[in-house]
Amino acid sequence: MFGFLKQKTEHPRISQIRQIGLFSTLKPRELRVIEGLLHEREYLQGEVVFDEGEEGQALYVVLRGRILICSQGDPVAGRVAEIPVGALFGELALLDGIPRSKQARAAENSVVLALSRADFNGLLDTHAAIASKIALQLARDLGQKLVTRFLTVESRPL
Amino acid sequence: MKSGSSYLASGPFVWLVTIAITTLLLVASTKALWLVVPLLIAIILYYMMYPVVRRLALSGIGRDSAAGIVAGGVTLLVVLIMIPLLPWLAAQSVSGEQTLLRYLEGGRLLVDRTLAGLESQFAFLRRLDFHAEMGKRAAEFGDTFVQKQIREALVAAAVSLPSLLLAPFFAFFFLRDGQLFTKLVTRGVPNAFFERTIYMFERVDATAKSYFQGLLKLTAIDTVFLGVGMLIVGVPNALVIALVAAVLEWVPVVGTVVGCVFAVLVAATDYPNDPWVVYATVGVFVANRVLDNFFFIPLTVGRSIRMHPLPTVLMVAIGGAVAGIPGLILALPLAGVVATVVGTIAAIVNDPRLRARNAYAKALLAKRVTADLQV
Repeated sequence: MFGFLKQKTEHPRISQIRQIGLFSTLKPRELRVIEGLLHEREYLQGEVVFDEGEEGQALYVVLRGRILICSQGDPVAGRVAEIPVGALFGELALLDGIPRSKQARAAENSVVLALSRADFNGLLDTHAAIASKIALQLARDLGQKLVTRFLTVESRPL
Repeated sequence: MKSGSSYLASGPFVWLVTIAITTLLLVASTKALWLVVPLLIAIILYYMMYPVVRRLALSGIGRDSAAGIVAGGVTLLVVLIMIPLLPWLAAQSVSGEQTLLRYLEGGRLLVDRTLAGLESQFAFLRRLDFHAEMGKRAAEFGDTFVQKQIREALVAAAVSLPSLLLAPFFAFFFLRDGQLFTKLVTRGVPNAFFERTIYMFERVDATAKSYFQGLLKLTAIDTVFLGVGMLIVGVPNALVIALVAAVLEWVPVVGTVVGCVFAVLVAATDYPNDPWVVYATVGVFVANRVLDNFFFIPLTVGRSIRMHPLPTVLMVAIGGAVAGIPGLILALPLAGVVATVVGTIAAIVNDPRLRARNAYAKALLAKRVTADLQV
């Protein structure tokens, strides 16, 4: 009778998305909207997610596994970074359709979530609050990456 | 480096395939007209309701609820309009044939007077007995038109009326689940083609959206222009005629002529002794057509279809030939959507890197699933 007083249990998928930094500030209702937009993709170890020079159409968040960011054709010497679980990559595609600066490929069997630029632009139109929260988290993430890069360059021996 | 436009291949082969597929789809549509017409209305309703749903969503209402509120509101509005309108329509249908015959007679008298005037001006027309011959043909056409075409059109409209109730139903699901459909289709696409596919869906949506929303804006502009023009000229029920004529403009080429003839019949019947009202009405339609071509269409529908004028005209002609009036309306937006899909597939097929990536992914999968099956 008093079922409506019971706390609703969250869908495991929603809990999973909540753990991702980019979506951590979203409310449960907003997470359900985002869940409807995310594309889940599975990549085998070594499989290419996107190539250098391609026009970016989506940003990706690693759900399982690791993604290697490297120069195309030189995954060992040209290694730039390894993206762990919960982190995002290819985010500049969301802000502008500029070409990918590096190649992304699965360092191990991985599952990623993709948010397309078209869907993000749609969010700006229909759910401005969600889009602004994501944009803020995105700005924080980019700022953090800039600081890390700056510190790396600073500490490099002359 | 790939740019967005290079994600879409173009050229004679792409156009030939696009025309062939669009024609096949139009032929198929004639076999399921009961489904095509409500679907077409649903698409137009979807793009009409979408800005309202977006506004509601921005005010904090969820997309599902917003879609339900707007679709429910539109259905309720239609029902509320229909309740007082149905008895009036029933009364009109009784006197409908007489009214139609009165306007056709008005038109016949106009043609008759114009031909007589021409014959008195030009001797060679008198020698050809132009007036009598053309008058006979016009009377024959009028009789056939009333007895066959209009009756058939009315019967077809009455038969397809129940299926039109599907339109708001479809529109609601387009509004609510459109994104889920994209997600479902994309799930089956190999990783190598994933970004191209989401780009294709974005382009398809943008094409249909700009075409149908542009069409609605064009209808509003034409209604105002024709309505004001005919009000100044003095045509009775100018705004209603303007709205009907503007909606008829959805049918390329033929629509303008039919809309103009409709207005001319009304003007000729209500002002039988004042041919200048008829000429001024035709003038308003010609001015509207010129402004449409040079200003209104580029500002609204514009280049949403992104097709060369030659295949565009060809497509409209084929649409009319294979699927009649629905074919004329559907030909351009359908060709625009088909061109995007064909262009994307052609670009993928012509991209050796993407094909190699797909083959590599398949090889990786094959290696993984057969790892413990080596002899």
